[in-house]
Order: sequence, then C-alpha cells, then structure tokens
Amino acid sequence: MADAFLVAQDLQKSFNGNKAVAGVSFTIGKGEIFGLLGPNGAGKTTTIRILSTVLEADAGDATIGGFSVRKSPTEVRKLIGVCPQDLALYEDLSAMDNLIFFGRMEGLDGKEAKVQATTNLALMELTERAKGKIAKFSGGMKRRINLAIALMGNPKLLFLDEPTVGIDPQSRNKIFETINNLRDKGLTVLYTTHYMEEADHICNRVAIMDGGKIVAMDTPHNLRKQIGDPDKVTLEDVFLKLTGRSLRD
Amino acid sequence: MKNTLLVALREVRSYLVDKADLAFSLLLPIVTFALIYGAFGGQGLFHGTVSVVNEDTNGAYAQQLLDSIKKQDSLTVQMLTRADAEAKLNQASLNMVFFIPPDFSSKLNLGQPVAMTIMQRGNGGQDGQIVASIVGGVVSEFNHQFTVIDQVNQSLAGKNIPATRITVTTMQFLNRERQDPLVGIDEVSVGSKPNTVKDFLPGIITMYVLFSISISAAALVEERRKGTLERLLTTHLTVGGLFLGKFLANVFRGFIQTFILLVLSYAVFRIFTPLTFVESLLIALIFAIACSAIGLLIASLVRTQDSATWIGVFFTMTMTMLGGTFFTITKGTTLYTFSKLSINGYANDAFKTLINNGSISTLGVEIAVMVGVTVVGLILSRLTFKVLPQGK
Repeated sequence: MADAFLVAQDLQKSFNGNKAVAGVSFTIGKGEIFGLLGPNGAGKTTTIRILSTVLEADAGDATIGGFSVRKSPTEVRKLIGVCPQDLALYEDLSAMDNLIFFGRMEGLDGKEAKVQATTNLALMELTERAKGKIAKFSGGMKRRINLAIALMGNPKLLFLDEPTVGIDPQSRNKIFETINNLRDKGLTVLYTTHYMEEADHICNRVAIMDGGKIVAMDTPHNLRKQIGDPDKVTLEDVFLKLTGRSLRD
Repeated sequence: MKNTLLVALREVRSYLVDKADLAFSLLLPIVTFALIYGAFGGQGLFHGTVSVVNEDTNGAYAQQLLDSIKKQDSLTVQMLTRADAEAKLNQASLNMVFFIPPDFSSKLNLGQPVAMTIMQRGNGGQDGQIVASIVGGVVSEFNHQFTVIDQVNQSLAGKNIPATRITVTTMQFLNRERQDPLVGIDEVSVGSKPNTVKDFLPGIITMYVLFSISISAAALVEERRKGTLERLLTTHLTVGGLFLGKFLANVFRGFIQTFILLVLSYAVFRIFTPLTFVESLLIALIFAIACSAIGLLIASLVRTQDSATWIGVFFTMTMTMLGGTFFTITKGTTLYTFSKLSINGYANDAFKTLINNGSISTLGVEIAVMVGVTVVGLILSRLTFKVLPQGK
C-alpha cells in the first residue's frame, strides 16, 4: 500500500500460554476505515490494545505514522485516539468535564480542550447535555460521549472497539455518520464490530480473525464474491463460512 | 507533571463534589474529637454521679449537707425519690443510693446521733466505691463540724454567750483550719502525670491517616473497573504520572482529616505550643505520604474493590493495634518488638514527643522510617503494577 499509516507485522501475544494473537499482519492506508471482525476471543481487542500501546506484544511490531509501538509508544500516543469497548467515562463528572479532562491528558491546554470539547459535543448532538452528569445519561448518549472523548486531541488514527454495542438505532446512525464524516476529512479508522452489516456498510476493507490469526482480508465486496454472488451473499455468510458455526463463549 | 497534577485535581474534585463522602470524611474526625472531649474533657480525673434521696426535705442541715456534696468537683448530684431509687436499684440501673433520713435535721438539732444510709447492689461497683468514699469524706467533715460546735457549746454552757455567736465563731475557726490545716497532705508527682488526651490522641490521629490506605488501595481498582485506566494509558499520561497523581490526591485526603484533628487539639486541649503544632502538621504530612505509598502498593497488587477494602482494613487495624493506639505497650515485651513493625507506632512516638514539648530535631529515626516506607512503597507499587489482559 503506497500511503500506509499503520503497518502491523507478525504481532504475537500470549496469556498464560494461550495465544491470543498469533502472528497478525496487516496494513491500513491513510484515510481508510479498516474493519477487524471475528467471533468472541478471536484476538481483535488484544490486537487493538497492542496497537494502542496498552499491552506490549511478545513478538512482532507495528508502526503508526512511522513510529514503532514498541520503541516509541509516546510518539504513537500523540497520533491515536481510542474508543474502548467498555464505557471509559467518569460518571461523577459532567460530559463537558470528561471531554476536557481527557483532552488535557492528550496534551491540550485548557482553552483548546474546551474548544474541542464544545465542537465534539456538538458533533454528537449533545451540546444541551454538556453540563449533565454522565451517571444520568442513557446508554446511547454514553456511547456517543465515549466516541467524542476519543476524538479529543484530533487524532490521526482512531481505534473504535465495538462502538455501537447495545445502543438505539438513532445513536448508532449518529456514530456511523460521524465516522464517515471524519473519514472524508482524512482520519484513519480501525473498527471492530460483531455487526456484519455495519462492517459491510462502513469499512473500506475488513480482516476476519479467528483463533488469533487473520483468516481473510479484503474489501467487503471481494470477500462476498469469494463465496458467491456478491449481491446476494452477505458478509455474515462469509464470516460464518470462515469461522464456523460453533459457539465460542 | 502537568498531567499528574490534573489527575490529582480530578481526584480531589471528585472527593469534594461527593457531598456524602465529603461530609463523612470531614465530620468523622470532628465527631471523634467531640467524643474524646466528652469522655476525657481534657483531663484524667475521676468524675462520678451520686444518687441521693433526701427525705428530710425541709431540714436545714440536710440541705447544708447536700450543698457540701454538690460543691465536690468530682461529683454530680442526682436527686431521686425513694420509690425511684428502689426501683432503679432493683433494675440494676443504679448501683448505689444515699438516703438522708426524715429526722436528719431534727436529731442534729437535739445533738443526737443520726446516720445517712447507703443502699447498694453488691459492693456498689468500683465507681460506686469511689463515690461513697468522697461522700463519706463530706459526711465526716460535717460530723466533725457538729462535734466541735457541740463540744464548744458544752464548754461554754452557763457563760451567757449566745448560741449563734458560739456557732459563728466556731465555724470561722473550722474554716480557717480547713484552709490551713495543721496536718495536711502534699502531693509530689514523679514523672509526668497520666493524661488521657496526651496518651491516646496521637493514636487516634494516626488511625485516621491509616484509613486513607483503604482509599488509596481502591484508587487504581476504580480506574480498572470503570475502564478509564485503559483510556488513560493511551494518552500522554505515563504510568508514573498516573501513580503520582493518585498518590498526591490520597495524601491530600489523608492529611485533611488529620489537619482538622490537630487544629482542634491545638485550640481546645492546648497540648501544643505554636512551634510543636507546626512540627506536628509536618509529621502528619510525612505520615500521610507514607500511608498513601502503602495504599498505592496495595492498589497495584489487588484486582477488585473488595480485596482493596479488606486488605486496607486489615492493614489499618493491625497497625493500629501494634502501634499502641488503644493501650500502652510496655517496653521489653514481645508485643513491643512486634510494634516496631507498625509504621503508626513511629508516628505515635513522634506526636507524643511533640506533645510533651520535644523537638522535631530528635525525631530522626521516626522520620527516616516513614520516608523509607514511602520510597519503598512507591518503587514496589510501580514495579508490581501490571495491565491485565483485559486492558484493566
């Protein structure tokens, strides 16, 4: 890929002898939305944690914007925004204060943090609830705040780990809309989800993981084409064909 | 460093906006202080209540005796009826009652012997015996007064001196004798007098700081539970910065409660000079720093809120007991040897030295131990901290 922003090479990570990530390699181009799909325990979240410098890989490396996640985690952190699977919010603080606090953690000064917080709250249509405490927000509103925080500091690469779990269609639609707008402005996104139609709809390319490995990687259209008529076959069919129908939990 | 201070400020702000938490943590030391004051009143002298049934209600001598009893600083007089007194004795809600008989004044007027009655359960209890002894002293004095007046009256009989003049003059001599007795008792104290406040206040102060260990221990668990730890670790904030921020916030919490107790002690009990008060604040700060470091070490090791709480409580109670908070540990005993493992034992010793007008310059060992615990606690907590596979 000519304009690769993220390059992961042979990433490996084990926990108590169990290989969670077993040699994962992929590349994400600048301004691309890349989907990482897989059943529970496939290694998607561990991969994101390695790439976002939360966990250190046992082997392999990745570069983000040219910086190694192993050797230059501080530089990598300046380029990334993370929207974790769990709602990582301070419930005792207001929406605005949450955004400002994490903005300051991203190195913004007080004034800039407030400007960005105001912008991101407006982006998520939560301006009117800016002073409301998170504890009183609905699940959908909390998810939108979770994403708004990830955008503080204007990251170049956004990690979205199942950002639409358990929310209403309106909030989900708002999140899609936001991601598409950001992509149009050049933001690179690594996106994990269990919703196949979501990945089909939003991702430029997807990688399907199973057992800590990538078992397929291409555009959603090409993956559908691999098992039949791309207009009739769904990404879920591809997913089930590649990962099987046995339960993983 | 900026991010560290922001983390600390966020923690402090959360503490300050949680009204229940704030009220509890600030009121608790004040309530404890009030209890200490109520229990000991800044002194260690005995104070008891004497229950009296006065059946000689209009008798002048009965009233005079009661007034004498009421003048005793160590006694509070509770007046009862006979029925009340007997019922309370039967219910064991009283151990001892003094009865002034109906003919008390009339018999004394006639120069006849008369006796107060003590009705008690068993031996009246330890306090009851002390009360009986004090009342016995008052009655003995009263008896002495009547005996002397009677003897003077008999000696001067038939000399046409008015009885009132004899009584007044005799009372003047008796009062002079009371003020300047021929045979008296001089009290000589060896060493310092026991003082409950001075002895136990340091232990209570350090116990409050130890409570901050439980709060510190929960600091990282909360971030793990909320998922904010993972998010913070992807920002510009370093793990060291996160630790230091939590540490500073917990030092503030630990110190603020101690500060309240020390200020109240300074203002009410007057057990500090201005200099030793400032030095005590410094010791309190050093101790709060050491306790927060221990709390952070526990925080690095535990994975759940429950573990953090129980380890914190266990540590606090063990250190409190070994530190001699509620009882004095005698030198040379096995317990004394173990007490050297208690960090608040060193803080207690430091406070006691300052309360007894010692100088902070003599507290090198105590300060060195607390600083050492801080350094070791912080290093170990950083070394033992791990991000879990779940990113928590």
